[in-house]
Amino acid sequence: MTKRVTIDPVTRIEGHLRIDVEVDGGSVQKAWASCTMWRGIETILQGRDPREGWVFAQRFCGVCTTVHAMASVRAVEDALQLEIPANAQYIRNLILIGHALHDHIVHFYHLSALDWVDITAIPRADPARAASIADGVSNWPGNSRHELEAVQNKVKGLAGSGQLGIFSHGYWGHPAMRLSPEMNLILFAHYLQALEFQRKACQVVGILGGKTPHIQNLAVGGVMNAINLNSLATMNMDRLETLQSLFQEMIPFVQQVYFVDACLLGASYGDWFRYGRGVANYLAVPDLPVDGRATKFDLPGGVMADGNLRAVRPVQDWHDQAIRGAVAEDVTHAWYAGEGAQRPWNGKTDPDYTDFQDNGKYTWVKAPRYNGQPMQVGPLANVLVGYASGHPLTRKWTDTAFDRVSSASGMRLEPDALQSTMGRYLARAIRSAMLSDLALKHWQLLTDNILKGDDTTYNPPQFPGHAVVGVGMHEAPRGSLSHWVVIDKGVFSNYQAVVPTTWNASPRDQRGVPGPYESSLLGNPVADPEKPLEVLRTVHSFDPCMACACHTLDASGREIAQVKVL
Amino acid sequence: MTSVKRSHRVCVIGIGNVLIGDDGFGPLVVEMFRCRYECGSNVEVLDLGTPGLDLSPYLYGTDLVVIADAVHADEAPGTLCVYCEADLLSRRAQLRLTAHDPGLQESIAQLRVADHAPAELIIVGVVPERCGLGDGLSRPVRDTAWSAVDLIARLLEERGVDCHRRLVPARPNLWWLPDVRSESIATA
Repeated sequence: MTKRVTIDPVTRIEGHLRIDVEVDGGSVQKAWASCTMWRGIETILQGRDPREGWVFAQRFCGVCTTVHAMASVRAVEDALQLEIPANAQYIRNLILIGHALHDHIVHFYHLSALDWVDITAIPRADPARAASIADGVSNWPGNSRHELEAVQNKVKGLAGSGQLGIFSHGYWGHPAMRLSPEMNLILFAHYLQALEFQRKACQVVGILGGKTPHIQNLAVGGVMNAINLNSLATMNMDRLETLQSLFQEMIPFVQQVYFVDACLLGASYGDWFRYGRGVANYLAVPDLPVDGRATKFDLPGGVMADGNLRAVRPVQDWHDQAIRGAVAEDVTHAWYAGEGAQRPWNGKTDPDYTDFQDNGKYTWVKAPRYNGQPMQVGPLANVLVGYASGHPLTRKWTDTAFDRVSSASGMRLEPDALQSTMGRYLARAIRSAMLSDLALKHWQLLTDNILKGDDTTYNPPQFPGHAVVGVGMHEAPRGSLSHWVVIDKGVFSNYQAVVPTTWNASPRDQRGVPGPYESSLLGNPVADPEKPLEVLRTVHSFDPCMACACHTLDASGREIAQVKVL
Repeated sequence: MTSVKRSHRVCVIGIGNVLIGDDGFGPLVVEMFRCRYECGSNVEVLDLGTPGLDLSPYLYGTDLVVIADAVHADEAPGTLCVYCEADLLSRRAQLRLTAHDPGLQESIAQLRVADHAPAELIIVGVVPERCGLGDGLSRPVRDTAWSAVDLIARLLEERGVDCHRRLVPARPNLWWLPDVRSESIATA
């Protein structure tokens, strides 16, 4: 018998993603992803001065502030064909890396680990055994028996006082929870330690951006950081050294703890490399430019179709004409007026709310398509196109991850296995390890350039009298982000943001083809429809964040999470 | 009530989305607080927007945190409501952290387990009238802002935090309120 399960809300940071699945014979047969609130936030940018657009854009979402600021200045610079100084590029890159590392650590430990880690099993763990397991795979000093015992005692205290409920959404004791008590203890200890490393990432962004989470240092044409090695008040050697040591403190946590834990999780839940593949078309834009003109990048971009690693079209730079011509947003199944697809530069956002209609309109998220095809974006797309194009850093960390999974479980992974729920977790950890290496590289590029005597950070923009269009691309933590702008008479006449979660949470399109969340859920196991933990695992593997995707506001107050089974 | 030493870390935090009407109460209040009061170097005044769980790094290891935010309470728009951590965790206060619920409760819960939660947490909330895109602030909420600012200062002073009214107020930067000249709020 088919059971309909509704989970609302799904995410731990955003309350507006609803997932409906039909379960039959223990697995998902049909799925719908719906965003339940509208905000149309880009409309606030129309008529504004493009030089201040980024200040507003970074308020689209409270979690991904910097990424929207960055995409906004890049869009205007693209429209003006304005090149920025190399220093500005490096400073932006270091901010982006700091933010991304923060975001990926939070996703793994705080937003999704408890889908896999059962806190209630921790009191049964043997701390000495846990310490020896952890020591065998990592030289992290936070894995001592003493440390793990302290964490275990805390959990025993919480369990004893009935306070475990503060970790809401926990499906404790669920049959799909399969880690040993010791592994649960290790991962939860790192969950707590991760809080400290989030702070360091915020400090990196704060030092460079002036403030965090809303950076102050951007400008169309570069950055506003003054560089003077002889001044106490500007970017000088002291500040550069502080930055370097913050990165040096964070990197061991990323490479020795987070990366290792993601590999262990994969080794323990090997069957999850078989579920959750979904849309196998991938899009990643190049990022971390190494020169002022942005002709060379440290993170490669590319387009991959039908899951075929042998047929990846590289995207060389942000001028890629194919991307500019291929992206359109379809509103057939979204609560907007009209049918069919429109290019972002001509995009409209006119609300047309119906009810939740299985075969009609059912979400506030538009359906972005690339030459008519749904695309999956995110760290997995990043890693797949890099791996397929032989990018050395991607290969190095992907191969290391495969070796670690293999030595922990005996399972030999092929790159194809990454196209799965667990693959998305592993790819995010691979990307984080890569970004850690790149943090030090871009710190060195900045320092060398300053020591060479270059202190320029800004090229002033000039606005033409005629209308111009631009697109600002950024490979954000959740995937490819693009801001599409039309500038006329010195102000924005149109502004559309096509954000990663819009790609991934896309509804069906005119042809009825579902988006990545929806198709990744098909065939997903569900042991108990009353406790659809497995559905959450697959959806959380995308790191959903609905704030900018659906352009939402909650005018009705606090929502209570509910799981309805019909 | 905590007694705060000079070496203790204190944070005054505004939460909310400035683009969405009365939801911008928190950021407005902290900016006005910064302009009217001067605090010791152990006090950070932060507009954190709508950080969700990303609130944790800012609360980490602090001694006293005062958060200004829009809250849901069965009161008239513009009413100030003050809550402590126990209210929050007992869910007596239905705090609306814009789109980012349940950020505050989970952040505190996390930090408690990690032993890095603020020693004392106070929420100064306002009941919003309207939270629509580009609405600006409603009259009742705007009228309450200075009371909230002075209330925060009093809460800090009572706990021994170095916090003095400036002889010459600083000029607020309220870039998101095109309809309000900065001066008119600064001198209200």
